Amino acid sequence: MWQKIRDGVNIRTGLSELIDNKLKGYRVPSDTNIFYTIGIVTMAAYIVLAITGYFLLMYYVPHSEHAFGSVQKIMTVIPFGWFVRMIHIVVANLMVALVFIHLVSIFFMGNYKKPRELTWLIGGLVLLTTLAFCLSGYLLPWNQRSYWATTIVTNIPTAFPVLGDFIANTLRGGETISEITLTRFFSLHVGFLPPVFLILVGLHMFLVWRIGLSVPPLSSSAKEEKPWTGYRPVSYSKSYPFYPNFLLKEVSMVMIFFVVTFFLITFMPMLFLPEAANMPADPLKTPPHIKPEWYFLAPYQMLKMIPNKFFGISIQLIAIVIFLFWPFIDSGEERNILKRPLILGVSLILLAAWFVLTVMGRYS
Amino acid sequence: MKKIFFFLFIIIFAVSSFVAAGYRELFEKEFLSKPWGSEIKIESACLECHTSDAMNIELQQIPQDWKASWHYQNDVSCHDCHGGDSEDATMAMSHKRSFTGKPDHKDVPEFCGKCHIGILKTYVESGHGKSHIVTGEGPTCVTCHGSHNIQKVNIDIINSQRCSQCHSYERAKIIKQALFLTDKKIVAIENDIKVLKTKGVYPEQEEKSLFDTQAKFRTLFHTIDVSVIRDKTDFFTKKLNVIQDNLKATFGELSFRKKYSTLVMLLFACSWIIIFLITRSRKD
Amino acid sequence: MDRRNFLSLLLSVFGTGAFVSFAYPLIRYLAPPTANIKKIRLTFNKSDIGDAKEILFQQTPTVIINRPGKGYIALSRVCTHLGCLLEYDKLQRKLVCPCHAGVFDLEGRVVSGPPPKPLLTFPLRVEGEDITIG
Repeated sequence: MWQKIRDGVNIRTGLSELIDNKLKGYRVPSDTNIFYTIGIVTMAAYIVLAITGYFLLMYYVPHSEHAFGSVQKIMTVIPFGWFVRMIHIVVANLMVALVFIHLVSIFFMGNYKKPRELTWLIGGLVLLTTLAFCLSGYLLPWNQRSYWATTIVTNIPTAFPVLGDFIANTLRGGETISEITLTRFFSLHVGFLPPVFLILVGLHMFLVWRIGLSVPPLSSSAKEEKPWTGYRPVSYSKSYPFYPNFLLKEVSMVMIFFVVTFFLITFMPMLFLPEAANMPADPLKTPPHIKPEWYFLAPYQMLKMIPNKFFGISIQLIAIVIFLFWPFIDSGEERNILKRPLILGVSLILLAAWFVLTVMGRYS
Repeated sequence: MKKIFFFLFIIIFAVSSFVAAGYRELFEKEFLSKPWGSEIKIESACLECHTSDAMNIELQQIPQDWKASWHYQNDVSCHDCHGGDSEDATMAMSHKRSFTGKPDHKDVPEFCGKCHIGILKTYVESGHGKSHIVTGEGPTCVTCHGSHNIQKVNIDIINSQRCSQCHSYERAKIIKQALFLTDKKIVAIENDIKVLKTKGVYPEQEEKSLFDTQAKFRTLFHTIDVSVIRDKTDFFTKKLNVIQDNLKATFGELSFRKKYSTLVMLLFACSWIIIFLITRSRKD
Repeated sequence: MDRRNFLSLLLSVFGTGAFVSFAYPLIRYLAPPTANIKKIRLTFNKSDIGDAKEILFQQTPTVIINRPGKGYIALSRVCTHLGCLLEYDKLQRKLVCPCHAGVFDLEGRVVSGPPPKPLLTFPLRVEGEDITIG
């Protein structure tokens, strides 16, 4: 009976031809490491966030009077509301970490070089969209931590001369965070950013699929790679089919991701919910030691340390531009990072600096 | 060609940064002076003089005492009790801003009773209150609680040192014993609520109910009448038991949640192991 | 049964288990909260209430006040500062909190003292001699 259904679908869509050519026929180089699966895990994380976010949307009220209460209701009254919310919080933070790991691993494998520059650029935009998601989503529970952490982050643009105040006020809908900010961020988080994210990720995945997975530069088969002169379907000296082998690897990584998620929910549920996160927002009272969320700590700390306001903010903006267009700056053909000691050294220093700034931001 | 662009870019950037360097002062004024920029609290104008060396030693000690107090933790400041203008140092002690200064010993109950009206009412009808109204030298709020270093209420404010200033400690001891069990329950519930807050639960109703119950209970002490306390202990214990039951239910819910998410985690872990085995078996 | 099929079977068992442990909460989540749907109503006779009466409505201590010239109102007695129960002062026409002297007027608005928000009011209907809350 199963076969009948399959035949019926096949006659109408040619699905089995598609599966044979594009999935089973799609080859993956043999030496791929686990970092090649991080992208899909990030996508799985996004899907989980979209589903839990949709469920949270059913009970959340985006008004400053009721936001905190509605989240508390979800946590205490709605059956398994705590489950949905905790998954949303933990997976959101894990997704940012995954995007960072994906970015760093692609960088160190030199997988942004020709013909994959566009993939990197779109991936960079995906990172920025993820951070926008985090910023807008963080305000929504309207607790002390979210109110004041968002106050800090929305004041960072004021460091920019002339335009700074205008940018900050447009972001916030006023001089300070208020109901207008809440509804503004809510519409951003729920209405505008998801389609933007999906389009960007769709393009990103299309490019990855179309060009084909890269060969890890440190593997033996990397030496046999030919320079990319025009579009052509990739061929590898050693490869295995995407389905089911690579797919199984990806699913296995997704399972590990879920194990980590539920481990955190079971044993460290308060990791992303400090005490101030359980008090309703009070615009008149700043809780002590308020800081932005961990992914914004490094830029915040840098801003605090650099005394020249304009310098501090513009160095970060320029860093973002360099980051997005990096493949066009570093356009040499060599992908093996061990053969490019300058880039290796500088990037390791920058990575270490990011870690140090984040830790400083946390403890200062 | 690219290198030229790069260097030109760096030069333009460095020049404009130096030009805009004057923004440092603006930055420090606007950004770092905000409470979330670096933790600076706006201080009451009274503290300007009362912490300076021009003031005599006793008066200098007062801000320190106050900063260690429960009032300070709850944003109750000098002008809330003494009047005066907290923002303008020139009017900080002006009668035009209802400054009252240090109350005489006989006026202390009414001074504190401006806010603590429930306690004032009970005190005035008590043995302590009556003796104070008649003699003007009875025990007042300050006698037991101090004036500036007022701590959060706890049962050990009743101790032999304090209560034997005027009479034997025996009567105070009897009252303390009568209060003991209920007070212990109150403290236990307060701790439970604190623990729940660290676990992400915000027990608003229980917290408010507890505050009302413990406020009424502690007001009761100020009657200094053991029979009244003994009579009402049952009533208060019942109310506290209700709160405790609700909190116990919340703890139960938390442990269910932990169990459920452990189950989900284990299911995913098993799935992972199986997929891993499948991958191994398929090493084509 | 060979190993591959056994493993596939195990996978489907655990996979289904994992899926159900996800889906079950989501389905329960969608169920309408039954407790909140039941609207509790209390009815009193005007003579029961008199000038003011303290009642317990939906587990909140409430006071129904007959305001001279303004009609009846049902206000929560829980002070919005720290939760002490308010006392009705008929002469001064206000509600006073004995804990820290928070004062509310008979609309529930804060007049003075530390309370940050106005009092909760409950919907009230007067029908002839009866007053219904809720």
